[in-house]
Amino acid sequence: MVGFFGTSAAYVHCHLQLRNGSVHSELIRPNHYRPRSVIRCCSTARGRIRDYYYQVLGVTVHSTPQEIKEAYRKLQKQHHPDIAGYKGHDYTLLLNEAYNVLMRNLSRHVDGKSRAGTGSGYTGDGYSSWNGPVRSQALFVDENKCIGCRECVHHAARTFSMDDVLGSAHVDIQFGDLEQQIQLAVESCPVNCIHWVESQELPVLEFLSRPQPKEGHGIFGGGWERPRNVFAAAKNFAKRLEREEQELEREQSSRSHGGHADCEAETEAQAEARHRAGEELRWKPLVDIWNGFRGWRKGGTDR
Amino acid sequence: MAEQVYTVASDSETTGEDKSQPSFPDVAIGIDIGTSKCSVAVWNGHQVELLKNTRNQHGMRSYVMFKDDNLSAGVTGGATRENAHEERDILSGSAIFNMKRLIGRTDTDEVVQASKALPFLVQTLGIGVRPFIAALVNNMWRSTTPEEVLAIFLLELKALVEMHLKHPVRNAVLTIPVAFSRFQQTRIERACAMAGLHVLRLMPEPTAVALLYAQQQQQLMHDNMGSGIEKIALIFNMGAGYCDVAVAATAGGVSQIRALSGCTVGGEDILQNTMRHVLPNFDSLYAGQTMDRIKSMGLVRIATQDAIHKLANQESVEINVDLGNGQQVSKVLDHSEFEQVNRAIFEKCEKIINQCLVDAKLVPEDINDVILVGGCSRIPRIRSLVLGLCKKEVSYKNVDALEAAVSGAALEGAIASGVTDPSGSLDLLTIQATPMNLGIRADGDGFAAIIPRNTTVPARRDMLFTTTHDNQTEALIAVYEGEGERAEDNHLLGYFKIAGIPPAPKGSVEISVCMDIDASNVLRVFAGVVKPQGPAIPPFIEVRMPTLDDGHGWCGQALAKMYGKTLDLAVLPKKLQP
Repeated sequence: MVGFFGTSAAYVHCHLQLRNGSVHSELIRPNHYRPRSVIRCCSTARGRIRDYYYQVLGVTVHSTPQEIKEAYRKLQKQHHPDIAGYKGHDYTLLLNEAYNVLMRNLSRHVDGKSRAGTGSGYTGDGYSSWNGPVRSQALFVDENKCIGCRECVHHAARTFSMDDVLGSAHVDIQFGDLEQQIQLAVESCPVNCIHWVESQELPVLEFLSRPQPKEGHGIFGGGWERPRNVFAAAKNFAKRLEREEQELEREQSSRSHGGHADCEAETEAQAEARHRAGEELRWKPLVDIWNGFRGWRKGGTDR
Repeated sequence: MAEQVYTVASDSETTGEDKSQPSFPDVAIGIDIGTSKCSVAVWNGHQVELLKNTRNQHGMRSYVMFKDDNLSAGVTGGATRENAHEERDILSGSAIFNMKRLIGRTDTDEVVQASKALPFLVQTLGIGVRPFIAALVNNMWRSTTPEEVLAIFLLELKALVEMHLKHPVRNAVLTIPVAFSRFQQTRIERACAMAGLHVLRLMPEPTAVALLYAQQQQQLMHDNMGSGIEKIALIFNMGAGYCDVAVAATAGGVSQIRALSGCTVGGEDILQNTMRHVLPNFDSLYAGQTMDRIKSMGLVRIATQDAIHKLANQESVEINVDLGNGQQVSKVLDHSEFEQVNRAIFEKCEKIINQCLVDAKLVPEDINDVILVGGCSRIPRIRSLVLGLCKKEVSYKNVDALEAAVSGAALEGAIASGVTDPSGSLDLLTIQATPMNLGIRADGDGFAAIIPRNTTVPARRDMLFTTTHDNQTEALIAVYEGEGERAEDNHLLGYFKIAGIPPAPKGSVEISVCMDIDASNVLRVFAGVVKPQGPAIPPFIEVRMPTLDDGHGWCGQALAKMYGKTLDLAVLPKKLQP
């Protein structure tokens, strides 16, 4: 029943793709589909399983729902027990699961449109993996507060691990140890920086607690930063995501009124999209600074 | 009492048969047993062919006539007589019909209660046992069962097909209503086994129509050389006994069922409502079934049925019946009156369509085609209601309202038998979905759904449960199916016990219950202890459901009373407190 979790654990790469490379391609693509130009971290379990699902369906992570549907139908036609007999059963189960997860995922991500517009690289995946089923609460280490005492790692070695570069602990596997051990680890923290949080909030928190590359302005800024109060920042971030989504939706509905653009000749809609992309490219650094600045300042005042 | 003359083939006989004819392409036939009419079709190598009976009919009236020592089913029965005469014969009490509404139901079921207004004997005790059903033979009620009646009918149907194809038939794909419970499905399978047919698939009626639609769309695509655009169809099927809705997404010959819903209203209810309206003292007049009452009730029934059929094309219709004992019924029925009388039925149809759209996460604007099938889809009010809800002007035209389901079943029969067609017209697939929640009783009288409805089949889901008492060593797994919040509101499918749970404080043991549905819709339940692990725990249990072999409702109550408290399970809370 859980067989494929084991097989999918085989490949672990942390592969960072910086945004600069893909900005160009964003310009050339037709307007109705832009790839996710995101920093993908494949070492997370959910990311890993999802990658496995993409493999099962034989599609790329950039595929549109349409492509996923087509691939799913094609595979179903080969492997469905109606056609392949009973031996197709297990494979079809896997296909169904992969399809459900990916489609659900895409519908959340507004039809495969990237959220990279926020300039964030937020993927919706957490960094920590789950041992057993996903529960409604999860562990989170506020890495800003963590003093690197290794107490938690000592008590629950499978759950927590030390990041020697940052000098702080983080959660590697949710519920990796027995509950008593986890409880002990939480209590043992001298600065109380291990929190129980809602699982939905976890990806945002984990994302924000990682250092983000900061845009440089001449000799000022640049380098890496992370919010001082990750919880306040997360609240801001969630709000921003929501707004972003609404805007995208509005954009989409207005675009669908304009009718679909053909790929061959540059239509009016396409020209408009190109224009918009150019504008976006020009203004994005400024918007990003503004967002980052606001987020940082709010984070500061909320404390 | 005379010995019954039909032959009932046992399972072993039919399995012995399959080696004898290896040369025949063993294509499964498609059968649509309707509440009122039945039809059969087969893939003849190029296309679907609907078979006709000796009276040149595609749709054969579903009934079995009990007369003296011989039985005759509606397939060929009454070949020499006039049509109207036949109908009067059916209503004389010696024929059993509407078996699809009675099969696998207990006598507390309101559908069985409503069947008491039929001319044959339906006796109920109202305690949740099988109703007693009997036909009038030589002024004597002779008992039978719905399964037996259906088997006799299928036997005659099988003979007709074999005569036509000139080789024995073994496999069949049958269409069933969405509202059929798994227990009722086993009754259908049993009736087929009695008739010597092996059920390859039981497919919900609207999904059979969806398959036919997928084939037509694919053919269209080949002709236009267009791309495989996804088309969403809403299929509304209302026959004499049941009403079903399905939403299917179709592209490239694959029809994916997005949502299914169904209920037990149909033409029979419309007919009975109208009969009660025409004859307000219907129930008191026909309280006991005497010979003259049965006869005059039959007259009212025929007249009302005719009137409803005429109302499809006319503004109003006049009903004149002479009840025989000096009483005369004469009434003018018009559209508004008819709609007023059956308002509850139309509302129910509206409800299931809306539910289906919500379940499929679609809005009316997403729907490309509305397909109306079944006898009741001819009623103007039903047509306008469905089209109105889907915001469409016209319905899909390329299907025959009465033959679509059986054609789809024959297609599925050919596909599931492994037939391929060089021209690609069998390059099809239906991806089915479960029509009802499947789960177990947990947290007292609660129902924990493990496989929610509209899950794509094949499906496999598991869920963790825990004990409710300290040192609880046994737990009862009672498997239910249905839409109710409480286990009591749903159908019990079966039960078993997990014994030998290691003693531990309550809430610390983890019991996994996994449900698996394969493509032929067989449900298997796996259960066992997953935490603590080690050699001291009992092995997992696999149970094929349903295990109950009679549909009475006592069982669930008795289980709850005896073991509800001591062997209860709790859903393992996904929340972990800090």
